[in-house]
Amino acid sequence: MNEQLQTPVPSPCISLCEMTPETGLCRGCLRTIDEIVNWGSAGDAYKRQVWAEIRRREAQLEFR
Amino acid sequence: MAPALPASMRVFERGWLSSNNILFIGAGETALVDSGYLTHAPQTLALVRHALGARRLDRVLNTHLHSDHCGGNAALQAEYGCSIAIPAAEAGKVRSWDEDALSYRATGQQCARFGFDATIAAGDELLLGDLRWQALAAPGHDPHALLLFCAAEGILISGDALWQNGFGVIFPELAGEPGFDEAAATLDLIAGLDVRLVIPGHGAPFADAPAALARARSRLAYLAADPRRNAENAVKVMLKFLLLERRQLIAQEVGALFAAIPLVELARQRYFDLSAAELAQWAMQALVRVGAARHEGLLLVDADG
Repeated sequence: MNEQLQTPVPSPCISLCEMTPETGLCRGCLRTIDEIVNWGSAGDAYKRQVWAEIRRREAQLEFR
Repeated sequence: MAPALPASMRVFERGWLSSNNILFIGAGETALVDSGYLTHAPQTLALVRHALGARRLDRVLNTHLHSDHCGGNAALQAEYGCSIAIPAAEAGKVRSWDEDALSYRATGQQCARFGFDATIAAGDELLLGDLRWQALAAPGHDPHALLLFCAAEGILISGDALWQNGFGVIFPELAGEPGFDEAAATLDLIAGLDVRLVIPGHGAPFADAPAALARARSRLAYLAADPRRNAENAVKVMLKFLLLERRQLIAQEVGALFAAIPLVELARQRYFDLSAAELAQWAMQALVRVGAARHEGLLLVDADG
């Protein structure tokens, strides 16, 4: 989607910073804690992969 | 491609309710610069814990004491027993936890009380992540704010003095105290440094400092030409902050909220010929227009623009 085409790749953070123990994902941005910690040191390729993962997780959530 | 961070540094890019956090994992000591907002403290702790693994956090330092930069201090202190270092000029206020002199009561924002162990003055040299950093005075947005600059790596931790697009509200000017000239002097100071990478208080780290400085100067000139512009920006920012914190507000209550926030009320009386309710209307429309908020029935809801 859009974010993956932008350079630099924008942060998924929407200022709703809360880890959900059940999913291991942040409630706001749907990243794992690892992905959030790594983000600041990562290049665009990694960030695009994370966005792709976020989209997959969003799609899965819609079916619950 | 953004320049690489030294191996001893991690940057947690946090959005706009919490400031970014910069974690240093040195051979002998670990440190965190700026700790985010109070309501995000559990998340800040989780990020720090995850990044440090078995190691403890030894120190917290703050570029300035706005609520979004030191809201995690108390929780980190409780968890790790870490020492806390604050800008020297704020020592008295923090020692007595004077919420009037600190910005929290004035802005209607929250911060948990914390104790400090050390102060940082402009000109001090600090060792963070096995790198040498210089503390530099960065007044404007906040009279006592500091920058941290590592000359060896060309990395500037700029707090809210310089972002990729702009800088933090020039709060002193809202109260009729000088801020525009100071902010300009801070930009000049930054321009004189050999900066390869800027780690701002909000937004992604960026390499092109000259371009950011040019945009910042232009914005500052625009605001300084008519202080009402700075006041308009401040009111919108403070409403957006409330929305980020609470996620939704009852639209009809925003006027009363505004009347209860001393800085908003001060700005309203100095710069606007509007009642609190009218100012609230104006601010809500402004945020909705740019997609930073939307109306849902009786509610004003946070949105991402």
